[in-house]
Amino acid sequence: MSPLLSVVSSLALWVGSALLVASVAIIGPRRLYALWDDLRDRLWEIRKPLAALVVVLIASAIGRGSLQTVSELFGLQLTWAIYALEGNFVAWVQATFGSPRLTMYFSSVYVYGYVFLLAFPFLAYLALPRTTTVKRLVVAYALNYAIGLVLYTVVFAYGPRNVMPDMVTSLLFTHNPEFMALTGEVNEPTNVFPSLHTSLSVTVGTFAVLTRREYPLWTPIAAWLATSVVIATMYLGIHWLTDVIAGTALALGAVSLSYRLVDGEGEVENDVGSEE
Amino acid sequence: MTRQVSRRELLAGTGIAALSAGCLGRTRNIAGRDRPSQLTLEINAPPADRDPNAIRIARHLAENLDAVGVDARISTLGQTDLRRKVLINHNFDVYVGQFREAEPFDPDAMYGFTHSRFVAEAGWQNPFGFTDINGVDELLASQRRAEGDDRREAVADLQRTLGELQPFTVVAFPDPLTAVREDRFENWTNRQPLSVGGLLGLERSDAAGGDADGNTTESGDETVDGGTNETAGSDGTADGGNETTDGNETEGGLIDDNPLTDGDEAGDAATLRLVTTDERITQNWNPIAAEYRRYGTFTSLLYDRLALVDDGEVIPWLAADWKRVGDAGIEISLREADWHDGEPVTTEDVAFTYEFLRDTSMGTTESPVPTPTFRGRVSAVESATAVDETTVRLTLDDVNGAVGVRALQVPILPKHVWEERTGMATIAGFEFDAETTEAVVTNNENPIGSGPVRFVEASPEESVAFERNPDHFLVRSADGNRSAGDTADPLAGIPERFRGKPAFDRLEIEVMGSDVAAVQAVGDGRADATVSNLGPDSVPRIGREADARLVTGQSGGFYHVGYNTRRAPLSNPRFRAVLASLIDKRTLVDAAFDGYAEPAASPLAATPEWVPSDLLWEDREADPVHPFVGESGSLDAETARDRLREAGYRFDEEGQLLAPGR
Repeated sequence: MSPLLSVVSSLALWVGSALLVASVAIIGPRRLYALWDDLRDRLWEIRKPLAALVVVLIASAIGRGSLQTVSELFGLQLTWAIYALEGNFVAWVQATFGSPRLTMYFSSVYVYGYVFLLAFPFLAYLALPRTTTVKRLVVAYALNYAIGLVLYTVVFAYGPRNVMPDMVTSLLFTHNPEFMALTGEVNEPTNVFPSLHTSLSVTVGTFAVLTRREYPLWTPIAAWLATSVVIATMYLGIHWLTDVIAGTALALGAVSLSYRLVDGEGEVENDVGSEE
Repeated sequence: MTRQVSRRELLAGTGIAALSAGCLGRTRNIAGRDRPSQLTLEINAPPADRDPNAIRIARHLAENLDAVGVDARISTLGQTDLRRKVLINHNFDVYVGQFREAEPFDPDAMYGFTHSRFVAEAGWQNPFGFTDINGVDELLASQRRAEGDDRREAVADLQRTLGELQPFTVVAFPDPLTAVREDRFENWTNRQPLSVGGLLGLERSDAAGGDADGNTTESGDETVDGGTNETAGSDGTADGGNETTDGNETEGGLIDDNPLTDGDEAGDAATLRLVTTDERITQNWNPIAAEYRRYGTFTSLLYDRLALVDDGEVIPWLAADWKRVGDAGIEISLREADWHDGEPVTTEDVAFTYEFLRDTSMGTTESPVPTPTFRGRVSAVESATAVDETTVRLTLDDVNGAVGVRALQVPILPKHVWEERTGMATIAGFEFDAETTEAVVTNNENPIGSGPVRFVEASPEESVAFERNPDHFLVRSADGNRSAGDTADPLAGIPERFRGKPAFDRLEIEVMGSDVAAVQAVGDGRADATVSNLGPDSVPRIGREADARLVTGQSGGFYHVGYNTRRAPLSNPRFRAVLASLIDKRTLVDAAFDGYAEPAASPLAATPEWVPSDLLWEDREADPVHPFVGESGSLDAETARDRLREAGYRFDEEGQLLAPGR
């Protein structure tokens, strides 16, 4: 079996099970039944943001290769600037905290935890009686990807594992080279600014805080997972601290923009909290 | 750049004050001077995923440069962009790279690399912009003419001069490590496993003769072998010799089976699968493109050369034979061969190739546009003419035999394809650069060569597939000979190990994300061998993979630090000498190559018979010409600064090296 296929099937298995457990525990059977009954209508209601997200994802899948070429030829080569800015921070993280157990933890969080973190809120917010939150979430995802793609093209930078292999071990790919096949399908593995892992995780984390009254149990879990993914990007030697900071800024921007865009469609502002 | 801005700020700030004070003249005298600022050097190297060793050398140099007060910036670039920047645009300060010869080479390789007549050309010819007309140029010219001891002397002096002037600093000759598995193909030599000769010399394993399932039963034996060989290999190349003999014995046993497996038995078992981290072979098949060719191994399988050199042995290849005629002539008789599109290979094609490589515009542009690779080789040929249907005459430019043989090693191109590419390169009909022809920039999709493999398909940045060329003279003549038993052997001069080859029906090369992933693919049985460089993270893995084995050999592709001598202060040989002494080659070999490399002072160190004893590294701890300033890895920055001061450079109070005027 090709390594990509085996990673994908194990990913589907694990994330699928986690989603099942989390749905029952966090969303609750009542809302799940309601969701099941009402699924088609709700999906129809959020068709516009959903279509936007799909368009962005397809554009990213098709255009990424050529944009990468544009970036290499005309983009700002900023690897040296990022390194000059933060120096050996990532090397320090690895040297200080590196241990086989943590490597295993962060590797699985980076791949499995991340996919779960992105998938679950979609289900959870779709299960809410009002679709405002899920619309905002989908819009925020789309914005992250779209703005991220532009930034990738404008800035061309290699990550710490590619620049200082003598100090930063490429932990994820050294211990699980099969993951490389997967992440390579989703992202250009070389171009690192900003960290899209960070921005999407922080987006989910921010939404989890904003919707804490709906899903009080989800908030700490999401915060924990999101923080872990953010640390994992640096611990595994994939991203610079600069990428992470830029990713966080991108996430906060995308969330606030999504609130503006979706509210602009005439939804009532306090829908989110007042349902209880 | 920064200097300009700061000067402008200064002018703006002082302008009004100066006017009111009324001492405009004196202010102009001061403000008109460029204020010195810290020297910035940009070091270009490919990222670790693409080449795990080069970036480590770059980091080492950058750290030591920082320590002596130079602002060193590492710029990581993809291989193609790096080459374009360095070789084509000459827009660089310092780069870290490998020489383009895969195998130990004749000293004349330095002609193209360092002769000043090539400073204005784009490509592998003198990328440094280095000029030493009375020293290096003279010596390069005389080693071309001289024979015997005279040549040896000239080559020794050449190395001494290059060592002194350091247009580039040789760091080390890496062992061309590759992880292989032998359940499908064997006879991986410990000399040049991945050269044209190495790949053509492969044999199908016994187990692979059946079907793919046979692999599992066979692997038990292989494991034991693999384990011992691995440890033997890491001890040194001396043990490697045994390995090769083993391989040859197996070859002897296999020869009888060969005609059977050679034939129509297609399918998965006859596919040689290689993995690489270098995506360029999936994008471009232009044998003369400097940006895309590493050693040119696969384009050499596509495009035959007149002569092939395998392990130091000169083998008449597309040329059946040649003889010197008079002082300067070589008369070459061609083998009967066809291009992949069915057209016959003619003497016209050969004559065209030499003319074309000297000027790819074939005289249609104001000044010639020479080939960016093989430039040194074709510069030895004055003219090439087709005498009759099987004979070509090359008129050499007063060169000795060895240089003449080197001139035979260029890819022979089909005239009917390449004569259409002599026009100026255009983008959407617009001429972009008068110095560039279509031939130099084409990706050469669907390459038409005459070599033992043909192009099949490719998906860029992922994979490429070639197939065995059933019409190649290695195959066609091998079969024909058996049935007819003709008078003259059409394969005269071709060693037994290449007859009827290649042993694979299909050659697939897949791009991997990193050297670690490449080794993993071999370990998992998804590939037969790795092609690209392996770094210190991946080499130990080979020992842990049961079916994988480490083979190595001798490389000509030395790692070096190249300087753009067009730019101050890199234009100053004294400054370059100090840079050279900032590189601790011994420590780098241990840290960046895991010991799998030989530190070197001379670019010819792979052929020690050419190196004078004062330049041989042997058991030395430090470089014989520019020893490292400091002790095993830790730099003595103060001494290094003193050397720079002695050379006339100055520092500010913070210890920053001040950039001299450019």
